[in-house]
This record gives sequence, C-alpha cells and structure tokens, in this order.
Amino acid sequence: MSFQLNRVELAHANGFVALQDISLQARAGECLALIGPSGAGKTSLLSVLGTALASRSGSATVLGATLPASSPSARRALRARIGTVHQAPPLPGRQRVVTAVLAGQLGQWPAWKSLASLAYPMDIAGARAALERVDLADKLFARCDALSGGQLQRVGIARVLYQQADLVLADEPVAALDPVLALATVRLLVDDAAARGATLVASLHAVDLALNCFARIVGIKAGRIAFDLPAREVDDALLHTLYASEGQELPTLAKPRSHTMAGAQHLVDPVAGCR
Amino acid sequence: MNLARRDPAAGRRLQGAALALLVLWPLLQTAQVHPAALLDPSNLQVIGHFLAGFLPPETGAEFLHYLARATLETLAIATAGMALAWLLALPLAYLASAAGREQRSLNPVSRGVLTLLRGIPELVWALLFVRVFGLGPAAGVLALGLTYGGMLAKVVAEILESVDPLPAQALRLCGARRPVAILYGLLPQASKELASYTVYRWECAIRASVVMGFVGAGGLGQLMDQAMKMLNGGEAATILASFMLLVLGADALSGWLHRALDMPPAARASPWGWRSVGFVLAVLTGIAASVALLDMPLLGLFSTESVHSIAAFVTGFFPPDLSSDWLGKVLLGTWETLAISVVGTLLAAAAGLLMALPQWRLPWTGLLNTLRSVPELVWATLTVLAVGLGPFAGALALALHTAGVLGRLYAQALVNASAAPARALRLAGANGGLAFLYGTLPSAAPQLIAYTLYRWEMNIRMAAILGFVGAGGLGQLLYVELSLFHYAQASTVIIAMLALSMAVDQASAWLRIKMR
Repeated sequence: MSFQLNRVELAHANGFVALQDISLQARAGECLALIGPSGAGKTSLLSVLGTALASRSGSATVLGATLPASSPSARRALRARIGTVHQAPPLPGRQRVVTAVLAGQLGQWPAWKSLASLAYPMDIAGARAALERVDLADKLFARCDALSGGQLQRVGIARVLYQQADLVLADEPVAALDPVLALATVRLLVDDAAARGATLVASLHAVDLALNCFARIVGIKAGRIAFDLPAREVDDALLHTLYASEGQELPTLAKPRSHTMAGAQHLVDPVAGCR
Repeated sequence: MNLARRDPAAGRRLQGAALALLVLWPLLQTAQVHPAALLDPSNLQVIGHFLAGFLPPETGAEFLHYLARATLETLAIATAGMALAWLLALPLAYLASAAGREQRSLNPVSRGVLTLLRGIPELVWALLFVRVFGLGPAAGVLALGLTYGGMLAKVVAEILESVDPLPAQALRLCGARRPVAILYGLLPQASKELASYTVYRWECAIRASVVMGFVGAGGLGQLMDQAMKMLNGGEAATILASFMLLVLGADALSGWLHRALDMPPAARASPWGWRSVGFVLAVLTGIAASVALLDMPLLGLFSTESVHSIAAFVTGFFPPDLSSDWLGKVLLGTWETLAISVVGTLLAAAAGLLMALPQWRLPWTGLLNTLRSVPELVWATLTVLAVGLGPFAGALALALHTAGVLGRLYAQALVNASAAPARALRLAGANGGLAFLYGTLPSAAPQLIAYTLYRWEMNIRMAAILGFVGAGGLGQLLYVELSLFHYAQASTVIIAMLALSMAVDQASAWLRIKMR
C-alpha cells in the first residue's frame, strides 16, 4: 500500500475546512488523477499526502509511515521519498539549472556532499540524464532566470525525476505548458512512475488529459471525494455534475470548448494520446 | 551537441577563489589579525576591569544634568546638520540625477562635487572646522552638513533614477518641465524610500555628532571622550545607554513614518490633515530650536577677519607634501586602511549573516541593536583596550558596529526573499540548513551582496579615521600631523583618503556587476 487516508479532515488556520471525510488509498505503482473545479481541495489533498499540512482528524499512512511522523528525522526520511511537482516551480532565479536539479537529492545525500555540490556539481551525469528526459539537456549550466516559464516548469519536473521518489505528487504540473508539451510531460511522469513502480498522484485542470493518461480518476468537489472510478467508467454526466459550478463547459487541454466526452477524447488524438 | 562532462564554470570559479585569496591574504597580514590577543590574560584583565567599571552606571544628579544638556546638544547638532545637508543636497541631486531627463546625461561637475564632499570623512571636516571656528558645535554642524549633503544628494539622485521612469517621461512628452515631471511622476514612487533614508541618515548623524565630539565639536561625544580618558566606566555606561535610547527613538520614528506614508489619503481636496501639518510643524520647530540652542556664530563666518583666517588656514594645506619619504608613509597608511576596511567588513558580513539566520532572529535583535547603536569610534576605544593599539583593533571595531547594521539588513533581505524554494526542498526531505543554502540564499544573494558592498564603501571612510584613537591607518597619520600643525603633510593624507574612497567606490561598482 503506497498511502491510505481514512476519514481525513483538514482545516486551514483561518478556519476554512478544505477537506472533509476523505478516504483514499493507492497501491504502489498506481497512477491517480485528481480533477475538480478550482478551490475544490485538490492542492490541499496533495499537501496532506506530502506532509506539508497535518490533518485535523482521521488517520493517514504514507509509504508505510503513520502521519504525523514520530520525529523530525523520521519526517525528513519520509519526505525524501516523496517528490512534489509544484504549481509554480520553486527555483531561485540565480541558481543554475544543474544545482536546481541536483537539489532533488538533498534529502538522500550526506551533508558533506550537499555542501560540496554548491562549489562543484557532484552528479553532472545524473542531472543531465534527468534534463534530457524533459528535453532541456542544453540548459544544464544555464541560470534559472534565463529560462522561460515553461522551461522552468520542466526543470522542476526534472528535479522530481532525479529525486527518484516512491510517491510523486504533481500539483497542476503542466498548467504553464502548451498542449503538445503538456501531453508529453504528463506521459513522461506516468511512464517514469510505471517503470519504477512508484505511485503518481497528479491534480490536473484539463479533463481530457486526465482521462487519456490515467487509469484511475478521483473527482473532488467542495473538499469531498465526488467519485473514484477507473477512467473508462467516468462519463459525461459525472463530469458535468463535478464542474457544475464552472458553467456548461468542461476544461480541456486543447480547446476551451468541448461539450462532450467524445469531443474531449478526440482532441488528444492528433498528438497521439496516452492510450 | 557538445556535451560537457565537467562544469564549464568550474575554471572561472577556481580563478575567482584564487584571486580572492591572493588579494585577501596580504590584507589579512596587514590588518595583523591575531584573534589570540582577544584571549590574552593581561588584555582580558584590562578590558574586564574597564567593563566592570561600567557597573553601576553613574546616576548622580549633577552628571545627569550634564548628560541631558549634552544629549540635547547632540540631537541639535544632528538636526541642524541634516537641515543644512538637505539645503545642499536638493540642488545638487537635481543637477546630478538623470531622473526626468530625456537623455541620460550625467553632469560631471556636480558628480565631482558630490564625490569631493562624500570622500572626506565628516570627522576630518570637523577637525578642520574646529581649527577655524574653535571648539564647539558649529564645526560639527558644518561638517555634518557638507558630508551628509554629498551623501544625501547621491542617494536621492540614485533613488529617483531607480524608480520606474515611464510616468515622468510621459509627462515630459506632454510638455511638462523637468521639475514638475519629477514631482508628479517620480516623487510619489520614491517618497517612502526617501523618507526612510532621511530618517536613517538622521540616525547616522546622531552617531556621527557623538563621534565628532571626540575632536571637540560638542555634545555627547565630548562627554564620552572625557569619561573614557578618565577611565570612568560608570559615566561611559550611562552615556552609552542614553545613546542607545536616541538611536532606538530614531528607529521608532522611522517605523511610524513608514506606516504614515502607507496610509491612504483622506477623501478631501486638501492633502493636509492634522497629522501631516503637525509633522511639518514639528520638523520646522525642531530645526529652529536646534539652531537656537547651538548658538552658532555662523554670521561670523562672513566677517573679513574670519575670511582671512580661513584663507590663511586653507593656503597652509598647499602645496601638499609630496616628498618620496612622506609619500611612502602615506601609501603604507593607505594600504593599512584598506586592510582594516576589508577585514572589518568581511568579519561583519559573517557575523551578521549568522545573526540574521531565520530561526535565531528573535533573541538576537537586541544584540544587533546594541552593536549598531554604538559608533565605530567608540567601539575602537574599547577594542584598543582589548587587543592593543594597531590595525586589528580598528578592524574589530568596524566589524562590531557593521555586524549590527548588516545583521539587520540581512534579516530584512532574508524575510523578503521568496519562501517557496526552501519550503519545496524541506518537503523533499532536506534539512533546514541545506534548504536555506539551496533555496533561500540564492534568491537573497543579490541583496546581501549589495548591502555588503555598500557598507564597505562606508567603512573605507570610517577606517580612514579610526586611527584617531590609535587603531592604525591613515587616521593615525592625519591626527598626528594636524596636532603638530604640519598642514602640508596632512593635506597629502587627506588627498590619499579621497583617492582611496573613490577607488573603493569604483571597485565596489565593479564587484556589483561581476557578482550579479
């Protein structure tokens, strides 16, 4: 079992209840997509899994460890096995790409190696291999502030690839990318997780992307799980209920307008969808 | 595609490190850094004895009366000096700044005047004016006005250049004249920074007026000088305490001004509320009261008699002594001064960064404020006792004061740096220290470097005068020569100070670009 949430409830400091009665579990190697209108609690759910926020009630087990972790060192050891792709890539502008990617292993590396790596990158080959997978090997020694928004996002993904985490959490990983690149990137994350037997949980804004690339879809609405189904069982009616607050249209990758599922699935075809 | 196996930047980094070592090593030698002296038992005994004398602080009614009078005098010198500085700075800044100009044309004449004013430390100006006007606050006010006028003008010019120029350009394009374009287009953006810089300078002026007291320009410094010379620790402690109160008061004023400038204006035609009217009245009364209290013979400045004496005094400085013997000594002093400033600033940067680290901040603010509110020259009187006469005492004194200033500035920069990168690293299992090094430090580095270089520019001026209390460098030479009325020799030293501070300004600008 990769993670298991049992009746988890999360409240923010201002009293807003972001998640209620969340029960969700995943086996090692599973790939889940979280979909739902904005403000539904997708990011909050990822934060609980990533140990960034502690739930108010309920129980949670992640990678065999019960949350909250028993000690700071146990928490660090757990976090080293969880990789997160952030919505906005959290990379300092003055840092070089190679250092930003290598920082993915700070949780695993001994302290001396992390410190030495500031003076001279300790694993250039590893960083290059990770960057090659996102098509950015030529930017290895560039500075982050010299990259475009989309390139920066891919550096953030390369960092997570380099981290080799057992549980990968992705919060809107492709929001800043164009449709073709978005598809390729999501596919990369899915393939990487499958190849290593790691679990992937990604929140996605584009419904078609989620349905085409992920086997299991979790719909979230108003802090609760609306449905948790295999992708082929998710139908138009379910989706329209899920996104009812955002009007008649479903958010998709390629075009803002798509009233039917058939349309949504069709859209991905020209660029060879995940399935 | 050429796939580099090795880091292409490594060679450059290695060169940079080697170059830095090559430059720093002789500087460290010259500064005679010997931390062991801090633990030397005989030195420890002297300083311990002196510090023990701080307790109990002197609270006799007669002394407190003197103290109150001196505190008021110090405040008045600082306030009158700042008023004079603003009078000088406004036209100079307007002439020197590229703000509101349609083409970026720098005015070499006014920039040159600014460099001359700023390049000579206020203490040297004070020493000169004391020779002309005799002992008393007038020398201090004039010295402050000239140096701070130069600094204010430079900073005002730069602040106006650094804000978004488009509003002023748009106004100029529809026919507004330059002063109007600046008032309507640039001042609203820059007002907060200008206000906080003015208050910060006023705080510096309070510190400087204390320091100038050491050469007989009145105020708390004169009292402090007497107390130190008589090794009267109790009086020194009380003076230091009142001094810290002044500096903390200036701090509070700065915070209040910041909040006041953030307040949305009232919804009526006149922008003048009771608050702003009251503030302007208070400032004007403060300046008037200061001038009245100081009772300066400024009009005497224009009598034929004094013009003659000034002229005679000034001509005494020409021609400067350029004999190779003396030049050699001055060169040595220049090198020593440079060493003091570099070593002091580096020590301060290290200590300041440690004290600014996020999780430690709260208990350290008190220490930072103490370090910061005591001027370098006062620290120097203590460090000279602690490690003996010489450049190391000067470097330590600079480091103590600067660590307080830099610690505060660093803490602000670290708070303002984006928190997301470090947070993300912590979520990936990195410990706090590594998350700081990989996440926070790279974002904050430009600010930290800019502050450090800026302090170095200030410290080179300060290092040049620390010698007045026996802490080595050019100051020692100048003090001796002026005491012996050897004006030609003193003139060489002053020229060397000026050249050194200009060279450091250039070096600092170069480093700023290199380390961007």
